[in-house]
Amino acid sequence: MPDLGEPAALTVLTGAGGWFGRAWLRAHAAPQHRHGPVPTGRVRALAGSPGEVTGILEACPGAEVHVGDVVDPEVLQTLFAGAEGAVVVHAAGVIHPRRVDEFARVNVGGTRAVLEQARSAGVRRLVHVSSNSAFGVNPTPTDRFRHEEPFRPYLGYGASKAAAEAEVRAAHDPGTLETVVVRPPWFYGPWQPVRQTTFFTMVAAGRFPVMGSGAQQRSMVHVDNLVQGAALAARVSDVGGDAFWVADARPYPMAEIVRTVAEVLADEGYLVARSRLPGAVPGGRRVPALVARGAERLDRLLQSRGRYQQELHVLGEMDKTIACDIAYTRERLGYEPEVELREGMREAVRWCRQRGIALAPRADGAR
Amino acid sequence: MSSYDVVVVGSGPGGSVTARECARAGLRVLVVEEGERVEPGAVPAYSLEQMRRQYRNQGLTVALGRPPIAYTEAACAGGGSEVNSGLYHRPSAELLDAWSREHAVEALTLPDVEPWLGTVEDRLQVQGRAGELPPASAALARGAERLGWAGLDVPRWAVPGPGHPEKQTMTRTYLADALEAGAELACGSRVDRLDVHDGRVRGVVVAGRTVTSERVVVAAGAVQSPALLQRSGVPVSGRGLAVHPTVKVVAEFAEDVNDPADLATYQVKEFAPALTLGGSASRPSLIALALSERGWSVAGEPREAWRRQQVYYAAIRSRGRGRVRSVPGFRDPVVTYRLTREDLALLRSGLARLMHLLLAAGATRLLPSYAGAMTVTTNADVAPAAAAMTRSRAALMSVHLTGTLPLGERRGGVVDSWGRVRDVTNLWVNDASLLPDAPGINPQGTLMAIAHRNVDRLLRGDG
Ligand SMILES: Cc1cc2nc3c(=O)[nH]c(=O)nc-3n(C[C@H](O)[C@H](O)[C@H](O)COP(=O)(O)OP(=O)(O)OC[C@H]3O[C@@H](n4cnc5c(N)ncnc54)[C@H](O)[C@@H]3O)c2cc1C
Repeated sequence: MPDLGEPAALTVLTGAGGWFGRAWLRAHAAPQHRHGPVPTGRVRALAGSPGEVTGILEACPGAEVHVGDVVDPEVLQTLFAGAEGAVVVHAAGVIHPRRVDEFARVNVGGTRAVLEQARSAGVRRLVHVSSNSAFGVNPTPTDRFRHEEPFRPYLGYGASKAAAEAEVRAAHDPGTLETVVVRPPWFYGPWQPVRQTTFFTMVAAGRFPVMGSGAQQRSMVHVDNLVQGAALAARVSDVGGDAFWVADARPYPMAEIVRTVAEVLADEGYLVARSRLPGAVPGGRRVPALVARGAERLDRLLQSRGRYQQELHVLGEMDKTIACDIAYTRERLGYEPEVELREGMREAVRWCRQRGIALAPRADGAR
Repeated sequence: MSSYDVVVVGSGPGGSVTARECARAGLRVLVVEEGERVEPGAVPAYSLEQMRRQYRNQGLTVALGRPPIAYTEAACAGGGSEVNSGLYHRPSAELLDAWSREHAVEALTLPDVEPWLGTVEDRLQVQGRAGELPPASAALARGAERLGWAGLDVPRWAVPGPGHPEKQTMTRTYLADALEAGAELACGSRVDRLDVHDGRVRGVVVAGRTVTSERVVVAAGAVQSPALLQRSGVPVSGRGLAVHPTVKVVAEFAEDVNDPADLATYQVKEFAPALTLGGSASRPSLIALALSERGWSVAGEPREAWRRQQVYYAAIRSRGRGRVRSVPGFRDPVVTYRLTREDLALLRSGLARLMHLLLAAGATRLLPSYAGAMTVTTNADVAPAAAAMTRSRAALMSVHLTGTLPLGERRGGVVDSWGRVRDVTNLWVNDASLLPDAPGINPQGTLMAIAHRNVDRLLRGDG
């Protein structure tokens, strides 16, 4: 096991209202083994808008919540007041904005502002949540991104995450501000946003397209595995300036992801439509890879004109392999992901059901 | 010329193994070789002069397609072994199993082939380097180490010589053995066609005259062998040509790295077998050619700038395939290659990873080898420079040619599991054409072991 430094008395979290943000806060409030050395001291959380506050407090009633724009220096000054020796987990960012210029403003500008304020506040370590999108797609289904990879950003979001990651790593300054990057791929698990709910709904309805052969692979990360990775990145000694892939133990073939979601939904009492297309996986339908390529082209075109369309973007990525190798993360951080696809998807489905989020008709006719 | 027991067409690695084994078995053997005989060391290795004298069409051969792929074939006694880098790999069990499965090949597992690999390794004195890596290799090793990527200094069939290592080419080894065992070698003789009648080959036609033989073994290389069969009326589609499409980068360092008479033998195998990174021949003339085409200004630079420059490559296993077609009235076949979308994506990824590695190794500037490429000096340049290598700008090459006459029992295959041509009783193929696919490693060792296995079968008469 790598050496763990002293836990910080204060943790400052940006992007607190997001998927990871709330999972992290939940782990603060109710730590489990799977979360690793998640800090249990005080936590200060930055919400992007007042609407997020309820969700944040639901996850962690004891959090001190601030509201404001992550690029606003005044907001950050208050957020970092008395934060000497604290740990910052910087998870604020936009993934699916309406306009492409939001990527640079929030993902790059916000990161720069946070680095600056953290430094002047005397923060000990900053953990930055980056993304696979900074590295593009794998050239073959069996290829894996290694710990060291050239940035090859996938469109606007990827470019902003690459720029932000580069700045964070360059800002590492031992003795003053240490920086560590975690790179999660596609999330799943409780606290999911509407777009993931849409994914479940489409799978249940047999309308989720599996592009091409379905052999393309995806690394995914259950949010609690990501919490463990980020917690380790905040604590392990001598990893400043480095970056770590944080994902489930193995990448999953796309067809397996869709099939697992369909099976879990059926298990959990939802009606799952069988797709009518021949050769289709249960809960999904095969679509020629051409469709994804068309979507990708259109996405590129729109983004070049400053516009962003979420569905198109997601569709354009669907025939690609995006998979990483976590060996280095295991070795250096002692990371051991505990949640696996089926169990994790089940948790997500139950989380939705508990909150009355409709996914599909119930098999027993109940609502 | 009188009649022979065996005529071997081509004196490359495949032909030399065949000739030696047949001659040692007491057969009357003639090797017919189109190229001339050049003593090893008589022309500088990796030089333009070597290209003029020992390559087909001076090394200027191209597979048409989008993008076209330049390929090189040797044409001299000893074939490719005289000009190549001498890098040796054993094929993996997985590779041989995949070939056996996909092409229904008998007896091609690693245990089947292993004894022959041993024979080849012994005769060619395959060995690792003793002592320190030279600078061009050391740069690759350093980059790989910094990135945590796996790599190795590849063993070679080269023995330490005065000055530079002496490559154990065919003229120094197998071909010499064949001649010593009584085989005859006719250089400067091109086989125009085989004399095939009623399912038998009677001999080979050279300059309008037939040299008769009990058996003929074609080992003219993966492009020329299918073309020769086509010219001889044997139905051969010529499809299946498989190469390792390769993209190059000129790297400049702060210190001297270039040893013009040798090349980097280190390979990065972290992404193998799909992708291999390594070093290429870097004679000043080759570098000058690469740079002048791309507009890298050399004006005002110290005249010896090439000493700090070295060419590196990223080579891939390709899903695309090519085709060889001989055209009546033309000496050379038309070769085409279709690079797939996945191939291009893999090449871009390989190019990006190569540049990332070279920067990590301390390169101060990089120039990728495609039309209109930008100069890369920082990590941030890597992505745009890789993305800009489009189909229309790519300039790819390959020195590994395989796949045109894959061995195996698959229906419609031209040859069986042992290289015997199905429709012509006494005709065999025994060279790189037989490898069902470009193997993701330097192929000569593998093809020589397979050639041994085949000729052993031929001599036992149960083929
Ligand atoms: C620059 C370069 C570097 C390479 N580096 C390596 C390396 O490091 N390691 C490795 O394993 N492989 C390497 N290779 C590949 C290796 O050299 C080939 O795979 C190997 O030589 C193929 O052997 P072959 O017997 O099939 O054909 P070839 O070696 O091509 O021999 C065929 C011979 O047949 C002759 N011929 C063709 N047609 C006729 C005809 N009609 N009549 C008479 N003669 C004919 C040709 O002139 C030629 O001499 C390299 C190749 C090149 C060009």
